[in-house]
Amino acid sequence: MNGRPVKIALRGLTKSFGKKRVLKDLDLDVFEGESIAVIGASGTGKSVLLKNIVGIMTPDSGSIKIDGEEVAGLTGNARDRVNRKLGMLFQGAALFDSLPLWENVGFGLMSAHGVSRADARVAAIDRLRQVGLDADTADRFPADISAGAQKRVGLARAIATEPEILFFDEPTTGIDPIMGDVIDNLIVKSVKELGATALTITHDMESARRIADRIAMIHDGKIVWVGDVGKIDASGNEFVDQFINGRVDGPMSAALLGTPAA
Amino acid sequence: MNIVAAIGRVFLSFLESTGRLAIFAGISITHIVRPPFYPRLLLRQIVEIGYYSLPVIGLTAVFTGMVLALQSYTGFARFNAEGAVATVVVLSITRELAPVLTGLMVAGRIGAAMAAEIVTMRVTEQIDALSTLATNPYKYLIAPRLLAGLIMLPCCVLVADIIGVFGGYLVAVHKLGFNPAVYLKNSWQFLELIDVISGLVKAGVFGFLIALMGCYHGFYSKGGAQGVGSATTNAVVSASILILGCNYLITEAFFSQ
Repeated sequence: MNGRPVKIALRGLTKSFGKKRVLKDLDLDVFEGESIAVIGASGTGKSVLLKNIVGIMTPDSGSIKIDGEEVAGLTGNARDRVNRKLGMLFQGAALFDSLPLWENVGFGLMSAHGVSRADARVAAIDRLRQVGLDADTADRFPADISAGAQKRVGLARAIATEPEILFFDEPTTGIDPIMGDVIDNLIVKSVKELGATALTITHDMESARRIADRIAMIHDGKIVWVGDVGKIDASGNEFVDQFINGRVDGPMSAALLGTPAA
Repeated sequence: MNIVAAIGRVFLSFLESTGRLAIFAGISITHIVRPPFYPRLLLRQIVEIGYYSLPVIGLTAVFTGMVLALQSYTGFARFNAEGAVATVVVLSITRELAPVLTGLMVAGRIGAAMAAEIVTMRVTEQIDALSTLATNPYKYLIAPRLLAGLIMLPCCVLVADIIGVFGGYLVAVHKLGFNPAVYLKNSWQFLELIDVISGLVKAGVFGFLIALMGCYHGFYSKGGAQGVGSATTNAVVSASILILGCNYLITEAFFSQ
């Protein structure tokens, strides 16, 4: 892609749960500085793909390279070293409910980067402002704020350590369309400001179009199409066409509904 | 044939769980002794396990001491051995009742709370978030709890020893008409250091086991309302059984002739 180096390279990635193979020899390249969205129906392996890349799960086979370094199966300090390059916004924000918002945002700075509590608080309040939250929210707890605000705090936490790679897991799920637009715009702004590489998992096409430079479609554990966001409406791929138009009839029907394809 | 298969499945499942628990405990222990450390989290757990358990431990100990004095008196009166009440109370409390009852009460209060908290963190992806923030969940979540349990249970048992003996004193002096000075003299005269030490060693082991069971069942339970319920139940039941089993083994190690 425009001669950019590959930041994340996935080759032959396979992951099974019991007899169910969720990822099947999946290949994907994510280039440095780009924002890619992986779209697909529920249960097609999007979240499993993401969890394998960030080390929450270990693939059964295949290769995951970040900056050319093999990271599949890394544990302990080696994994922590790689994870210092990453930031992630979880689907439900996954804020630590026993900590005030500023500690949530400054957690990575204090825990993994050795920043003092006082400095981390200043940095966290700055990040909270960046995502549109006032400084007086800093001492509130996650349970005291709305789902949309929790996503903002989750985003602030993800970008607090200025990571090289950002992951977004269903960033607009569970919030209203207006807040979804706000979150998408914040994601685009944050990724640009940091110059980070971003990988977003979503089934929200509007969100994918707003966030991504490129889109990859996953179905049945494999990437079935990759292309620029502007080309998705004329992809010529029957899986993509069915998904972006939200049609019941199509090649995915058998797998999704348990009925024969039309 | 099916019965044999069913027994085999249960046995294999037991072995799998035991192995997983042993690995979990081993990994957790290595994180207790390796930096980085989280003193704030340790302090929070110390307060949670020790300070907030004091009311329930105190009430348990005082009533146990009172009942023990009353029961010993009515029982020993049958063969004119009422004078042994003070000794029986102090030895029973320090050797057995304070560590075991404190362990069981803390297992019910803390073991269940730890399991519920950790399984909720698992379900809401907070534990995954720790990993992505380059923070080891064993080091951040498990190690401080295990260490706090190990440290605080002996402190709680020491308090329970004093309150339990005081409960016996109250009943003996104010209800049964014992002379206060004689009662206290009898309590001290036959109490040896090993009686207290054995109780504190038991407490340390129980504290570690309570925290281990709470963390383990929270860490490996499935999500949902049923998962949280199972995690808390399993944490309390397994900790209670281990407390009673280990109590016998430690007693045997200390006092077997």
